[in-house]
Amino acid sequence: MSIQNLNTFDPFADASKGADDDVQDGLVHIRIQQRNGRKTLTTVQGLSSEYDLKKIVRACKKEFACNGTVIEHPEYGEVLQLQGDQRENICQWLTKAGLAKPDQLKVHGF
Amino acid sequence: MAEDEAIFDPTLKKKKKKKKTTFDIDAALAEGDAPESTTNGLEDNEAPPAQEDADDNADIDLDFTKQKKKKKKKPFSTDDLEAALTDIKDETGAGEGGGQDDEAIDDNFDLDFNKLKKKRKNKKNLDEIMAEVDDKTDDKENVDDNAITWTGSDRDYTYEELLNRAFEIMRDKNPDMAAGKKQKFVMRPPQVVKVGAKKTSFANFTEICKMLHRQPKHLLDFLLAELGTSGSVDGNNHLIIKGRFQQKQLENVLRRYIKEYVTCHTCKSPDTILQKDTRLFFLQCETCGSRCSVASIKSGFQAVTSKRAAIRAKTA
Ligand SMILES: [Zn+2]
Repeated sequence: MSIQNLNTFDPFADASKGADDDVQDGLVHIRIQQRNGRKTLTTVQGLSSEYDLKKIVRACKKEFACNGTVIEHPEYGEVLQLQGDQRENICQWLTKAGLAKPDQLKVHGF
Repeated sequence: MAEDEAIFDPTLKKKKKKKKTTFDIDAALAEGDAPESTTNGLEDNEAPPAQEDADDNADIDLDFTKQKKKKKKKPFSTDDLEAALTDIKDETGAGEGGGQDDEAIDDNFDLDFNKLKKKRKNKKNLDEIMAEVDDKTDDKENVDDNAITWTGSDRDYTYEELLNRAFEIMRDKNPDMAAGKKQKFVMRPPQVVKVGAKKTSFANFTEICKMLHRQPKHLLDFLLAELGTSGSVDGNNHLIIKGRFQQKQLENVLRRYIKEYVTCHTCKSPDTILQKDTRLFFLQCETCGSRCSVASIKSGFQAVTSKRAAIRAKTA
């Protein structure tokens, strides 16, 4: 009985938040980087590999009117890269599209 | 209503009941919580019914003792609340004063800083504090309501209510305990100066590290990871960061750092120690003794932002 009860509770659920060393922690990291001049770059790391990132980038480019690309990284997997500060946009879009929950989004930068 | 009173006049008890719009006292006490608070308010405002109460005979008094208590308690708690509020206001006032002191010091340090900017920042901080105060008073009100809801009744109390009650007692007993009052944390604003066109200097970086009791390297790692850039501490203990950043942007990052790595996650006290244990950092609180792991600093994916031609030249 008690074991069955335990099944509904994942004892390591909160451990995933305690950041270890890989991207499979369920969090989507949204970062911003400065380029030359006033230009910036937004990167989205940690989207599930189940998703078709190419499709996502196509939709984002259209939606935010910016350029973007998918970069294959040996450690972090497929990373979405968008031109400009799209942090607000991508957060809203990911939540609206149901691809990530708001508490899974971790926005970095200033 | 007047007719009702006439009918039920002989026994004042019943009249009371009628007011409660319930049938017997037990029920009134058990389920009359919501209407009770409204009638309480009414009676508090209107003198006549209260006087009637006082004139009533003893047995009514006995019947309604619990209620009476409650009535007594209500104004009490609101008084408390007001007292707490004024306390808090005083505190924020003091906080403002402190901030201005800081300003003065800063002005001595660095004359380039125009006061207007700092004023604005200070104001913002104050607004935040005020918002917090508002939140807190709201909380307190809720707690008060919750705490009394079941006292007179037969029903089982809920977990939430018990919890609130425990917290309320805790706050009452030690008014200056950290769990009851949020300790304010006065931060000196970062002094940010442009260095040429592409770099930013964070002049009081080491000073802020000392204030936060954190290793400069830890804060440095965090800042650089968050800003997605590179940088280093120069000979004058200034942090030189690649890229252009404004004071308020660095303030945001610092605020996040303080939230995650300085203030206790349980009691919000800034009196904490950051320890590295195996691969994880732990935040040990000196006030409440709580200890919890904090997120490790990772810069994660870094996009290539420098000229590709230059990279090719370097690697080739
Ligand atoms: Zn603590």
